[in-house]
Amino acid sequence: MTLTLLGLALTVLAYALSRWINRRHPSPLTMPVLLSTPMVMVAITLAGNGLEGYRGASDAITWWLGPATVSLAVPLHRHRQVLLDHGVRVAAAVVGGTLVAMVTAVTLARLLGLQAPLQAALGLKSATAPVAIALAHQVGADAPVVAGIVVASALLGTILGPALLTRLGVRSPLGRGLALGTISSGQGVAQAFREGELTGAIASVAMALAAVAVALLALPLAAFLRRS
Amino acid sequence: MRRIMVLALQVAGLIAVDQVAIALTPHLPLPLPSNLVGMLLLALLLLTGLVRESWLGQAAALFQRHLAFFFVPIAVGLMAYGSLLRQHGLMLLLVILVSTAAGIAAAGWIGTRPGLGERPPAPAP
Repeated sequence: MTLTLLGLALTVLAYALSRWINRRHPSPLTMPVLLSTPMVMVAITLAGNGLEGYRGASDAITWWLGPATVSLAVPLHRHRQVLLDHGVRVAAAVVGGTLVAMVTAVTLARLLGLQAPLQAALGLKSATAPVAIALAHQVGADAPVVAGIVVASALLGTILGPALLTRLGVRSPLGRGLALGTISSGQGVAQAFREGELTGAIASVAMALAAVAVALLALPLAAFLRRS
Repeated sequence: MRRIMVLALQVAGLIAVDQVAIALTPHLPLPLPSNLVGMLLLALLLLTGLVRESWLGQAAALFQRHLAFFFVPIAVGLMAYGSLLRQHGLMLLLVILVSTAAGIAAAGWIGTRPGLGERPPAPAP
């Protein structure tokens, strides 16, 4: 119990400190999860209890991923006009982008000789972290590995995505919002809102729908990985 | 004080939707994760007007602002995968880089190519 409370306090402290650093030095490289995760790792190692002692706090915080994911329905509903105006295009871009990311990741992972659990984890990476984590078991991947890959992927997408899109001639808020939201989930949405209100709204719709697309595509992915 | 009470009630509302989704999920034909079922359920409730955005909006905004906090502990679990990361870290990074770029390019391309059920945009001045 005491250990759980200490772990909770530690995580809140690390997160608050990370947010403070991120506000002073805004950059994808200072995104709070990227800073607070190693802070907690170092602290629990120095305290001598390691992951075992952190389990209580970990379970207590992870429980909230449920309601946190449910809350994504609010921006989806608020920006539903995007769907009414561009439904076919939004669906095509979300499904197409998700499928390309998943197939590229799994194919390349196989070519490089990575094992099935890693292929599976890489396949889930464009979903928002709480959904990707929830899908980990279903495809035979480990949740922490999935979380790490999702964070790395969101980070790279946010750093490289805008320049890549500009280079490809994708300038409309619709194209950019769809790409950032579909592939880089929460970080991508934040980046899209920095580009503009409309781009952000489109990205938040894309992020919610991409989570559904990844979950549906996880079924054939799991079957494929089991068979091979 | 009143603000905190309202926020607590809204958070309770989100928890309630999540709990209903957890109960509902095993009976669905598709094995979707319960949190995603909860999101779709709430979207349905909002669309039909059974639930108003103003009933949950503040709590939802709070969760979205701090979504990262809630998966920090799972990411901390990566500690147990040190050897895996040392062994395969670079290859993982390569796969992430290539597939992220491919996904962004694909979604961006589909998102801008003309003729997907809309009228063509007016020519640029």
